[in-house]
Amino acid sequence: MSALAWFAAAFVACVAVYLVASVPGAWFPSATTQSYGARALAAVAGAGTLDGDAIAITAVDASGTAVIRANTDFRSADYPIVAWTGFGFAEDADVRFLWRTDYAPSKINSVPVSVVAGRLAPIVLAKNADWVGRITGIALAVRGPIAEPPHIVGVEVKPGGAKGQIADRFREWFAYEPWSGSSINTVTGGAEVQELPLPTLLVIALVIAAAGWGALAWRKHRLAALPAAIAALFVVAWALLDAQWAANLAHQLADTRARYGGKDWRERHLAAEDGPLFAFVEKARAKLPATPVRVFVVADAAYFRGRGAYHLYPHNVLFDPFRDTLPKASSLKPGDYLLVYHRRGLQYNAEEKKLRIEGGDPISAEAVLVEPGAALLKVL
Amino acid sequence: MDALALLVAALLPWWLGVALLLVLRRRLADRPGAAAWTIGAGYLAGAFLLTVWMRVVSLAGVAFSVWIVALPLAAVAAALTAIVWKRNRSEPRTRDLGLDLDGASRVLFYVMLAWIALRFAMLGIEMLSRPLYPWDAWTQWATKARVWYELGRIAPFVRQDAWLAAQGAAYFDASPEYPPTMPLLQVWSCLVLGRWDDTLMNGPWWCIGVALTLTVYGGLRSLRAGALASMVGAFLVASLPLANVHVALAGYADLPMAAYYTTAALALLRWIDRRALSDVACALLLAVACTQVKNPGWFWAATLVPGFIVARWPRHGVRIAFAGFALALLVLVALARFKFRIFNYDLALNYAPAWTDLAESYFLLGNWHVLWYGAIAAALLAWRSLLSPALAPLTTIVAGGLIFLFVVFGFTTASFYISDQTTVNRATLHLAPLVVVFTVLAWQAFARRWSAAHAQAPATAG
Repeated sequence: MSALAWFAAAFVACVAVYLVASVPGAWFPSATTQSYGARALAAVAGAGTLDGDAIAITAVDASGTAVIRANTDFRSADYPIVAWTGFGFAEDADVRFLWRTDYAPSKINSVPVSVVAGRLAPIVLAKNADWVGRITGIALAVRGPIAEPPHIVGVEVKPGGAKGQIADRFREWFAYEPWSGSSINTVTGGAEVQELPLPTLLVIALVIAAAGWGALAWRKHRLAALPAAIAALFVVAWALLDAQWAANLAHQLADTRARYGGKDWRERHLAAEDGPLFAFVEKARAKLPATPVRVFVVADAAYFRGRGAYHLYPHNVLFDPFRDTLPKASSLKPGDYLLVYHRRGLQYNAEEKKLRIEGGDPISAEAVLVEPGAALLKVL
Repeated sequence: MDALALLVAALLPWWLGVALLLVLRRRLADRPGAAAWTIGAGYLAGAFLLTVWMRVVSLAGVAFSVWIVALPLAAVAAALTAIVWKRNRSEPRTRDLGLDLDGASRVLFYVMLAWIALRFAMLGIEMLSRPLYPWDAWTQWATKARVWYELGRIAPFVRQDAWLAAQGAAYFDASPEYPPTMPLLQVWSCLVLGRWDDTLMNGPWWCIGVALTLTVYGGLRSLRAGALASMVGAFLVASLPLANVHVALAGYADLPMAAYYTTAALALLRWIDRRALSDVACALLLAVACTQVKNPGWFWAATLVPGFIVARWPRHGVRIAFAGFALALLVLVALARFKFRIFNYDLALNYAPAWTDLAESYFLLGNWHVLWYGAIAAALLAWRSLLSPALAPLTTIVAGGLIFLFVVFGFTTASFYISDQTTVNRATLHLAPLVVVFTVLAWQAFARRWSAAHAQAPATAG
């Protein structure tokens, strides 16, 4: 038996052991997964608004809680797994899954939900004593305060089973991971929430395969080849992971091509995430002198401050990369410019040509360019 | 036209660096992997020298232009090429073959080569399609490139207070104290393109990725790894997901840092192995380059010193090196008592690394495939060879690198970046390609020892 065959057998054995340990309820259930999208969900405490295909939790109620609910009617025994899909949850957020049953209709049951990388981990309820009878309603409770609104895309109740578990794991391993702000720092390798990381599984299979192959080789006095066999298995494990990564890259290439293909430098920037900001800065640049001048850039979001400044170079820009601050009035000199992009706290009186920064003394300034939520002012 | 410009922008530093290394070397192909080594290390050396020349030009008050930058360097490269050509005409021809492979090994070798080629094709297309994307790239690196390209000279970047006081004479970005090497390479690309283009200017990142892969292959070959083992090393480096991201989303200095550091270490190991002038010159040049690519490069370059000590004084070198590590740690502890600040990180004695998050990053997520499992296994299985004369310098350098990472993430404010999975992986990227080299060579040492022991077993039993 070749080392590769040992590896394949060990991998299958590992998956089998995982299934034995993890399948909640029946191995071959007859029920099928039930999904509830954002439109089937409603905020019953706090406030939630539809944002694309998700509900954004925008506020909590007086008790500091927001609750998003779905009306359901299924047998608890058929559906031991509940998986909420969402993003933007703080790592230390207090999130709980709530449900009501026909067995004890007045009682609201709850369990905590783990947040991993801003997303919600699935909940297994097979052994929960309160997961009984028919489930007449499920909900997600988030305790505030809420700085950035977390989003809930939907919820699935799953029958589990061997097939379902394997399908879920494969979905996690091969989930598309598009570029994001964190890509430069970390590569997840599939879905952000993974119950069984593929690298670990492959290494366990490799160790078992090496032991098995080694034992056989020892009996046949071929043990000298063991390092080569292990090295080959290591490269195979690496290549399997890399194939997943390559498929992800290919998917990303197609996305990038769809967004930027056939465009020149300027059109690409207009098509980028900060396209509206780039367009505004282009107009602002046209109003600025040809030789570099001092420009203070302010915006609520660090992203817009940094990008706004970047698009303005080689003008001599100043922005706060880390905090949402405004320049002191005393630091603004005649001839300086102030580029404001989605920033509260500034008042401009066009008639008097006066600019007031966060209630400070007014300074003389002229509006050079004004658009909704954005302006370029020249200090006089 | 842009494609031609990009080609020229890449070829000039490549030509310069390769010609320089060939002049320093006695023969064109003196051992297996020489060609790959020379091409890879040549680009890194040439690119760094190009930026040094740009600094000289700026210091002299001459405005940047393609010709001002390119002509003198092309003249130097041509002169070096002439010397090499003349010298090699009078010497017997040598061939750089060394593909001692047959059957399945040969097929595997070419499959991995094709895999690497496909990967770099994909990365190149992605990199040349997307406007500058990652955060620090447009808050602290390309900021300098844009200003220097438009002004035609290196203008100073300063912190906020100094900027306010300078009345327009100095510029500001998120990290004004960062070294100029990578922004100058972007300026060079734009000079050749004839316009500011923050997509195409990132060509050097792709070239650096290719150069790193070539130096790992060539370096391993010259350190007596087999052709297949060396190709495995190159394949592992070329397919490291986080390294790939840093080519596709170019603009950070972490991949260049990794390339310069790995190649400097490999050049040092080559010098230890055969004491050739070209290798020590290459090691010194690239170690200096490390300090000019990113500020932590000073520390990375310092980790090469223990490797040199171990090689220079084989009898007591290991003890001296590890005593040096201990002394350095003591000094850091002493400095931490005074709240010492170094490169914007506060040294502190509140040792609390986030081990769980670190383990997640190294072993569970997709950053490194199974690199760290392999490196630990290789170190454990080859432990009896790790301090042998052949491996001790590399072991010491890698140990120094790991200690550096441990100190940074255990004793400075950077420990925060483990739990949010940010700087921890980028700092690890600096060392990761050298860990690949270590894994391959340590495994090879284990395999030799094991095979020698077990090849005799049947005969003894019989």
